[in-house]
Amino acid sequence: MMTLSAVMDRLVPPIDDLPGAGTMGLAPEVESLARRHAPYQRALATFIEKLAPKWSADLPASQQDALLRDLEAADGAAFTAVLELVYLAYYGDPRVHRRVGWRGGALQPEGFPLAPFDPEILQTTRQRKPFWRQA
Amino acid sequence: MTHDRADILIIGAGASGAAVAWRLSDAGLRIVCLEQGRWHKPGEYSTSFPDWEFRGATSFSFNPNVRALPEDYPVDDTASDVTPLMFNAVGGSTVHWTAHAPRFHPSDFRVRSQDGVADDWPLSYVDLEAYYDLNDQWMGCSGTAGDPANPPRAPRPMPSLPLGPDGERLARGFDSLGWHWWPSDSYINSVPYRGREACNNCGPNGLGCTVQAKASTDVTYWPAAIANGVELRTGARVFEVTTDSSGRATGARYFDAAGTVQSQPARLVVLAANGIGTPRLLLLSTSERHPNGLANSSGLVGRNLMFHPCAAITGFFDDGSDPTWRGPLGNILLSQEFYETDSTRGFVRGYTFQMNRSTGPARTALGFAMAPVAWGERHHADFAMRFGNSTTVIALGEDLPEEHNRVELSASLTDSNGIAAPKVSYRLSKNSARMMAHACRQAEKVLNAAGAHTVKATPQLRPSGWHLMGTARMGDDPRRSVVDHSGRAHDVDNLYVVDGSVFVTGASVNPTPTLQAIALRAADHIRKAQHP
Ligand SMILES: Cc1cc2nc3c(=O)[nH]c(=O)nc-3n(C[C@H](O)[C@H](O)[C@H](O)COP(=O)(O)OP(=O)(O)OC[C@H]3O[C@@H](n4cnc5c(N)ncnc54)[C@H](O)[C@@H]3O)c2cc1C
Ligand code: SF4
Repeated sequence: MMTLSAVMDRLVPPIDDLPGAGTMGLAPEVESLARRHAPYQRALATFIEKLAPKWSADLPASQQDALLRDLEAADGAAFTAVLELVYLAYYGDPRVHRRVGWRGGALQPEGFPLAPFDPEILQTTRQRKPFWRQA
Repeated sequence: MTHDRADILIIGAGASGAAVAWRLSDAGLRIVCLEQGRWHKPGEYSTSFPDWEFRGATSFSFNPNVRALPEDYPVDDTASDVTPLMFNAVGGSTVHWTAHAPRFHPSDFRVRSQDGVADDWPLSYVDLEAYYDLNDQWMGCSGTAGDPANPPRAPRPMPSLPLGPDGERLARGFDSLGWHWWPSDSYINSVPYRGREACNNCGPNGLGCTVQAKASTDVTYWPAAIANGVELRTGARVFEVTTDSSGRATGARYFDAAGTVQSQPARLVVLAANGIGTPRLLLLSTSERHPNGLANSSGLVGRNLMFHPCAAITGFFDDGSDPTWRGPLGNILLSQEFYETDSTRGFVRGYTFQMNRSTGPARTALGFAMAPVAWGERHHADFAMRFGNSTTVIALGEDLPEEHNRVELSASLTDSNGIAAPKVSYRLSKNSARMMAHACRQAEKVLNAAGAHTVKATPQLRPSGWHLMGTARMGDDPRRSVVDHSGRAHDVDNLYVVDGSVFVTGASVNPTPTLQAIALRAADHIRKAQHP
């Protein structure tokens, strides 16, 4: 029997104190994101339909990865779409943000400080004579 | 329903439609603009939400086929090497654009005379110069005058945006090779300007700007045009420019948001629906006098589509510098070291390098200018190498016009109103492929000089159809062009085209300041024709 969580653990494995994406409990988030965008939803259904009959929890990890590689070669569009969903769920998670040093949340209205431009850096290129072509 | 006759009917409320509407708005004329999209409130843009990366990949994607909103029309791009990108709304594609605002060079208007390829334009840099300046004021340009690669220009309305540590690192790379670079002219406020805030460095400016620091025409030209009395009708999808028995334009028919057909008569029609939307409309508007589509006696409507070949070369750094996702994604600096033809390089014409920053974690993993981050055991190392540690040099090449690259009407695909969708056929030329290969080699040198430990190149970026040009080209000869130097159709004296469709050649810079300058100039010709 295949679970989306188990597949997600192969796609994004554990790192530091974080388990794989599936064990982090992100499968429901993947499903919920897919429901918001019909092409993702279709791709997820195709992905599961094609992978589930071959997948077994008892297979060694290397063979599970081989199944994923086969599917990637056979149906790149569905595979890539599901990979995107998994990445969007994983890199949208605050635990991952903390680990990679990302502030998270909305970018606006806070943004980041904007320093003034320092024209000093143009010193070298300013020495060049105009070289645009006359017409 | 048939509306009262307008003096001027503009179709499309994007970069060019807004400019022409504003420029004519004090001429005492009744002006109506029909736009299939809607107004967007800046607070609705993706970056105001925690899931901005998901929105940017789906409902707010650059790609109309991915968004698939009711106001979008699908584009059949199965026969194209490049995916066309656009936005359909008040402001048009400037809602999404990165607002990089370089100008054409004088030589770009004389390609045949100088290099023996393509065609010369029927106008020159000098003809557009004052309009470029006017547009810089209205859109709001941050920049620094004095670039040796370009003719002198007026002081910029605002100082340049900061280069940031990543931009300075790349600038030093260019300096060490003795190559040209200059801070980009940018339609992003470096300081508060005309009631709009300064950029707050949030990053992905291609997803709409919540604080209105980036100029999109819904916050620049449109408020002024509307204050002067222009009527902007949204949710209005035009499917035909109507003509009378003599072949002159009489207005347009459109579907309103409820799907009802309405008619807007007009004395003069201006097309500003972009390099794909405009030829689509012309091809849809057949009649006895115009059996092959409106203004198409030359057979060139839809042909000579140009996008700009585009390579993305990414350098990876581990010097502990600030993360490269901070600051406007695409508006930092450019290099025009390889802009002009050099016969020793094996291709004609040239390219511009532009610096692009990296982006948020999910979009980094999705593979912004590269393949997605590897899955499985290599995943975390690949992600760590990219996230906040990579800088991309985009090479934007000059795309020469070729008639087989074209927009046609699809025989099978339609929009939500059942109107034939455009079908795009486009193949990258051998000249472009050689040019991009050269650009990849040079970009690797500059990234290495800047300190990159690894460089990876994508010689042809498929989702790069930002610039839609050439499909209703201008010229003096009606057999070899669709409109004249002012944008007026050779075949229909009260029909104008003012968007990127009229480009004869594409230069190797982003097109919008040029197409807006052309739209402003066309407005002055229209005004003279209305009040001789
Ligand atoms: C992601 C992205 C980044 C970009 N970055 C840059 C950049 O940095 N610098 C630069 O110079 N350019 C950039 N561009 C390109 C720039 O946005 C376009 O060149 C510019 O917007 C084109 O102006 P336009 O008036 O021709 O068309 P648009 O701005 O595309 O507007 C056309 C309008 O016409 C409407 N329309 C079309 N058909 C119909 C119809 N049948 N009925 C009613 N309305 C219709 C559309 O809904 C749309 O609103 C970028 C584009 C994208 C997508
Ligand atoms: S980087 Fe600046 S211009 Fe771009 S969206 Fe953010 S605030 Fe607006």
